[in-house]
Amino acid sequence: MSQGGEILLEATGVAKTFGGLKAVDDVSFSLRAGIITTLVGPNGAGKTTLFNLMTGHLAPDRGEVTWLGKSILGLPHWKIARLGIGRSFQDLKLFANMTVEENIETFTERGSWLWQSGGASARSARRARVDATLAATGLDDKRDARAVDLAYAERKFLSLARIMASGARLWLLDEPASGLDRGSYERFLSLLRNEVREGVTICIIEHNLDIVQGISDRIAFLDQGRLLAEGDPKTILSDPALAAIYFGERAA
Amino acid sequence: MWAYVVNLAVLISINAILAVTLNFILGYAGIFSIAHALFFGVGAYTATFVAMKLGAGFLSATAAGMALAALISLALALPALRVRGEYFVAASLGLQMLAITVFTEWKSVTGGIGGLTNIPPARILGFEITQPEHFLVLSLICLILIILIIRALVRSSFGRSLKAIRDDETAAWACGKNVAVIKTTAVVVSSALAAVAGSLYAFYLSFINVESFVLETSIQLMAMVIIGGTATLIGPLLGTILILLLPAGLSYLPYLPPTEIGSIQQIAYGLAMVLLMIYRPGGLWGFQEKPKARESGTP
Repeated sequence: MSQGGEILLEATGVAKTFGGLKAVDDVSFSLRAGIITTLVGPNGAGKTTLFNLMTGHLAPDRGEVTWLGKSILGLPHWKIARLGIGRSFQDLKLFANMTVEENIETFTERGSWLWQSGGASARSARRARVDATLAATGLDDKRDARAVDLAYAERKFLSLARIMASGARLWLLDEPASGLDRGSYERFLSLLRNEVREGVTICIIEHNLDIVQGISDRIAFLDQGRLLAEGDPKTILSDPALAAIYFGERAA
Repeated sequence: MWAYVVNLAVLISINAILAVTLNFILGYAGIFSIAHALFFGVGAYTATFVAMKLGAGFLSATAAGMALAALISLALALPALRVRGEYFVAASLGLQMLAITVFTEWKSVTGGIGGLTNIPPARILGFEITQPEHFLVLSLICLILIILIIRALVRSSFGRSLKAIRDDETAAWACGKNVAVIKTTAVVVSSALAAVAGSLYAFYLSFINVESFVLETSIQLMAMVIIGGTATLIGPLLGTILILLLPAGLSYLPYLPPTEIGSIQQIAYGLAMVLLMIYRPGGLWGFQEKPKARESGTP
């Protein structure tokens, strides 16, 4: 499996403390282009916090975060999103009262002013992207349904569709496949693989080790806010010490 | 009787402008402003001032009111929208209370408690509007124009941004939206358009005082939007008509003593609100939650 190209997003020595809890403790972690990196670890390991630190949703107490070698610390998270970093959330955060189509369309529109730049040609390009995304995610016949009325798997696909349509170069996905049945989950993975072939880079937080094994090019293992190991899936998954931590038999 | 109907229709169209513009931020962006009556007042006082002191016609007086309302709303929105929703409610309440004091005390401009009288009739392109019927046409044109502007905005990418922020602010940030700029723009647009209602009101009555621009007005406007149905174009119109016709209707009931109409009206409002929350939480025209919609599709 590939170890990826250039480094897109990189955290160096980042730390975040909530009260007395070290949620992320001196973690250095990089995401390389063109591969799927999985972030694994028990609950409370600091995976989502690390995502939040890397996307500007939280400011680290210490450390540096760079995008293509340039510091993005202190940038508001909407500006970081515009650099091409898309993220999904564990609780999906869909626009509940908007239709599926509007949810996706909103992610193609970056402007905050009364109108979008680019005129009619940009508008038709955005429309085309919405249609292509609806088709790719199988949400075509649900385009007019409100997000809140979707079934569980459809909501998961909509969450992914929004990032797809945004044209983000790097996708940070927080447990995107949890709760999916086998069929949906296979469809989900093949969609991700397709996108990686098209040049997208993905980082996934995932608990299900079957999924981790099936999809990862690279795995990073987090526990109690520290990055314990990083490497190819075979090495990480066959490490008995990591397995013991993951399954709750914490070594002394 | 005809004069009464025309008068009611003018007042309904002026209030409808306020309800539609409030709905733009309340319904579509989820911004609860208790200061809408203040922008109504700023529009009224500014238009009056410009018309009386500078002899301006309707269009330039209205434009002056809109500009000042936009500026004041910018001063409110810029700091207040950087924080979460509850703070905006508090800040708008504070500004509304402050405005009442200014409207009451700044006697040289607002006429104090007594207000301003003898406001000249609205003049458009040299034509003076003195007939109530003509004024009704003017206020309906303004209402329709404003509805068209709001309709175009909510159907555009800007409208989608507003709804996105209302539904999930974090996700709106994550898709690259500058939430503070979008919310501020919405408040400024809404306030400037509300000032049009103020200008119409002043020219129509040729008398204004602070009593029309108090907190109760803001709350009544909110009731119009919520009862009619938030985030719809028709809802606020329906709510306005209902709330303004209710006291008129009650006064026609022969067995009600006129002195009690005020309190009966309050009871009717309260009852209507409670029943609405139970049976039609989306408002009369609003979107109704399908039964079981939220339960469907849990894993």
